[in-house]
Amino acid sequence: MSNELTTQMRELAKKLLEEEKVQMVIGWEKGSLPYHSTPVFVTNPEDAQKLIWDEYCANNLASYLLDYRNSGMKIALFVKGCDSRAIVRLLQDQQINRENVYVIGINCPGIKDNFNPEKEIAERCRDCTHPEPVLYDEIIGEKPDRASDKERFEGIEEIENMTPDEKYQFWQKEYDKCIRCFACRNVCPGCSCRECIFDQGQKWLERRVVSSENAFYHLTRALHLAGRCIECGECERVCPMNIPIMKLNKKIAKDIDSLFGPYEAAVNLEEMPPLGKYKEEDPEEFM
Amino acid sequence: MKIINVEKIPEIIKKWQNDCEVFVPVDNEGAVDFIPWSEGSKITLEGNSLVPPKKLFFPQTETLYKYETKGQSANVIALEEKTAQRIIFGIRPCDLKSLEMLDDVFLTKGFVDPYYKLKRENTALVALLCAEACDTCFCTSMNIDPGAASGADIVACKSGEQLGLQAQTEKGEELLNKVSQLTTEGEIDFKKAGNFKLQADIEGLAEKLKEHFESPYWEAACRKCIGCGTCTYLCPTCHCFDINSNTRGDHGIKTRCWDSCMFSEYTLMAGGHNPRPGKKERFRQRFLHKLQYFPERYNKTACVGCGRCLAKCPAIVDITRIITELREVTGIGTGNVESVS
Repeated sequence: MSNELTTQMRELAKKLLEEEKVQMVIGWEKGSLPYHSTPVFVTNPEDAQKLIWDEYCANNLASYLLDYRNSGMKIALFVKGCDSRAIVRLLQDQQINRENVYVIGINCPGIKDNFNPEKEIAERCRDCTHPEPVLYDEIIGEKPDRASDKERFEGIEEIENMTPDEKYQFWQKEYDKCIRCFACRNVCPGCSCRECIFDQGQKWLERRVVSSENAFYHLTRALHLAGRCIECGECERVCPMNIPIMKLNKKIAKDIDSLFGPYEAAVNLEEMPPLGKYKEEDPEEFM
Repeated sequence: MKIINVEKIPEIIKKWQNDCEVFVPVDNEGAVDFIPWSEGSKITLEGNSLVPPKKLFFPQTETLYKYETKGQSANVIALEEKTAQRIIFGIRPCDLKSLEMLDDVFLTKGFVDPYYKLKRENTALVALLCAEACDTCFCTSMNIDPGAASGADIVACKSGEQLGLQAQTEKGEELLNKVSQLTTEGEIDFKKAGNFKLQADIEGLAEKLKEHFESPYWEAACRKCIGCGTCTYLCPTCHCFDINSNTRGDHGIKTRCWDSCMFSEYTLMAGGHNPRPGKKERFRQRFLHKLQYFPERYNKTACVGCGRCLAKCPAIVDITRIITELREVTGIGTGNVESVS
């Protein structure tokens, strides 16, 4: 890997570790296949050489900060535009301390999908609204010269135009594919509950993988993220069963946007999620 | 060997389906799955299924029996056993090997699981040899021959537009006899998959791992794992399950469902203690079960090199790399692996 960003990342990481500004740097390293770039956790300066940047650096590394939320460790990590919003998510949700994270932003040219490497660009990058990180301590890479070729809520009207029965059938068919691996939950920077509702001895969710339980799982998760979803698309990327998880997340984001907005989650640290704060002028048409 | 043009495969299946259900690999919106063949099903002869065929013997959700209570007494109601014959068409050599391991678990050492046994006995297997390796395949590293299918009733291999079928058991002979009008006698020029991009050497590893349970390697290696169950659910050899009751009033059902050692609940005890409290312990369990405990108990490595775990891992945890790294950790050298990347 001999691109300029890779060199910069290695130098930066090495320096941060050598100067003991951080105890760990989270980045990506090359996997066994050309389209495999995988998270790497560098703790000593010599290993900074492992770091790379290429078009397959898909993982949102911010979610890993949850693993270290009680450690008191100072951690540096690389974030693309979407990943930087995950940092805002974690800060707003009070999961991490700002002073314990050193954020290195990458101006993102858009990445490819390691699960569909033949695609020119990952589907989730097509409607990217923030290729430039929204929060960082320093930033590397040229400002990307790219425009989204898809509107933020494009395609959502397809669901909106369905009748209730059609909607039910559409989602039930999708949720019936679910094997309940919980990859979508575990990869999500918004899923930070210390004990997830779904991990409580089947108090809420049965182990049986049947329509009703699957729907309950997906709907609960989507609603729990209402107004908080940063639209990074990680959940949909990692779903082994190709469930269009972002379709529902985007629909909810669209509703939040039209009811309380304009609002885009975790773009601005000061702007808390609409459902997480009280405003006198909030609509209350149902009262 | 019996020969048939690949276009005629549905005709064979139709014939077989007169007496039984035939599961075939079908491309369903980008994910290949074994489903009962029906008119118009597009059988795919490339690659492998996303969810392994273990689900046909050990379903993700299986009702074991029903029960009802009346006052102080309770009745257990057995379910009607499905005894219809089934055929799985297109099972790959790696998945076939995984059935040997599931047999070990569900049928040996003095334990016989009747639910598994019945499905195993009622199923004829038509294996499809591999002419091409997927990027994430490494079956040869697990000593599996992509050009052989021991345990299958019929072995099929494809060359161009021709499919060759060879019976290996009496059951297989019978099935081929049923479709003899559709096939011709002949030979085909089949070349098994050779170019494997991934390799790993497990020779001598199981024995060595015993001393490395507390190795700091696990702490470092587990970091990228997000703790989901994708690898275990897509693994053809993973077989952990959980049994639960669903009671509604005075009646209910007992169910058995897949469980995953990657989940916190898996080892959570009634009193709240969790002997595998974190990512490191769960990650280590998964790999040691495959590479040490299973070999100790059944003399087989519980990995068939199908590569599904790597292909779908959200964080690209690569078992071939882990095996190679463990060789270094245990001090048995890099092993017999050609440089691939």
